[in-house]
Amino acid sequence: MNDGPVSTFQFLGLTFSTANIVSASVVFLLVVALVYFTSRHLAMKPTKGQNFLEWLIDFTNGILKGSIPTKEIGGFGLYGFTLFIFLFLSNELGLFINLSLPNGATIVRSPTSDPITTLTFSLMTLMLAQFAGVSKLGYKTHFGNYMKPFKVWIVISIFEEFTNFLTLGLRIFGVIFSGEMLLGIIWKLAVSHGIATMIVAVPLEMAWQGFSAFLGAIQAFVFVTLSSVYISQKLEVEE
Amino acid sequence: MLSHLVVGAGLYFGDSIFYVVCFLLLMWIVKVLAWKPVTKMMQDRADKISNDIDSAESSRNEAADLVQKRQTALASSRSEAQTIVNDAKTNGQQQREQIVTQAQTDAQTLKQNAQKDIEQERQDALVNARNDVADLSIEIASKIIQRELKADDQKALIDSYIEGLGKQHES
Repeated sequence: MNDGPVSTFQFLGLTFSTANIVSASVVFLLVVALVYFTSRHLAMKPTKGQNFLEWLIDFTNGILKGSIPTKEIGGFGLYGFTLFIFLFLSNELGLFINLSLPNGATIVRSPTSDPITTLTFSLMTLMLAQFAGVSKLGYKTHFGNYMKPFKVWIVISIFEEFTNFLTLGLRIFGVIFSGEMLLGIIWKLAVSHGIATMIVAVPLEMAWQGFSAFLGAIQAFVFVTLSSVYISQKLEVEE
Repeated sequence: MLSHLVVGAGLYFGDSIFYVVCFLLLMWIVKVLAWKPVTKMMQDRADKISNDIDSAESSRNEAADLVQKRQTALASSRSEAQTIVNDAKTNGQQQREQIVTQAQTDAQTLKQNAQKDIEQERQDALVNARNDVADLSIEIASKIIQRELKADDQKALIDSYIEGLGKQHES
């Protein structure tokens, strides 16, 4: 998996990983294709594609409604919806497509099997939570919340923000990364001693692939759920 | 093999910026392509359903009102029909009585007229008969007289007879 040489390039003084850029672009195109093809011919009586899309929207809205009051959901609905599709497709991508360059560097895999991706999304969620808190409660009340129930609590509050950022990002990364890594290891086992190991390893590989697909869906769900929880925490005044 | 996981050693921060830009762009595309039209459609559908429920409720009430009105109208028309039939019966009764009375009066009048006529005719007939008898008597008498006049011996009888007639007429 990520143990081979890593293909990188420099642009505007920043280092980019080719695998991340390519994989993200693939997922980007998949998401656009998904919403494009399911949102044609919208009608009062929904047809196949529209039904699917509406089910998905209801699903992500349902996740958000679990923690955010319905009247305050507003734009978070779009955020949760896009985040869920993007993460779900990212998690599943590497299970089915894993491409490498001739020199061994991977170029297409799950974008979420790299911590930079998941931490970016985690940071984005927490920034959005801060922004939502400030725009709803104002600076004073929002930052006053850090000093509840008493002033020294500010240390724990800030530390909590940091751990939220890390756990939210690293949870999904860990699951997807380990899933892909185990798939690679099982595959190496399968090709190590010819037909005998192949017979044993291929069913194992398929089972693990199915399980990883399930875990990918669960992790996307968990990520959106926790995002909505973090956002909702910033929307209310602590007692 | 996990060397790039050490925070800060193998992270490519360019990717981070790429992801943020990518995700914001994606959110915008999703919003334009799907989110706005689909949520609008869902809202429209919810509105339509609630409108349909309301209108179904109101038309149900309307139908109930109409049934009520129809029933009242039916009941009133039934009583009206009863009144009409009763009136007709009363009228018929009155007319019958009137006709019978009229007929009785008419019959009475006719009877009286007939009696008068009969009486008249009887009188006329009597008068006629009397005249006829007189004429006949005179004729007979004249015939007898013409035949017997030659016999002078009868002259005294004829005279007395004529005399008797004269007396009778005088009285």
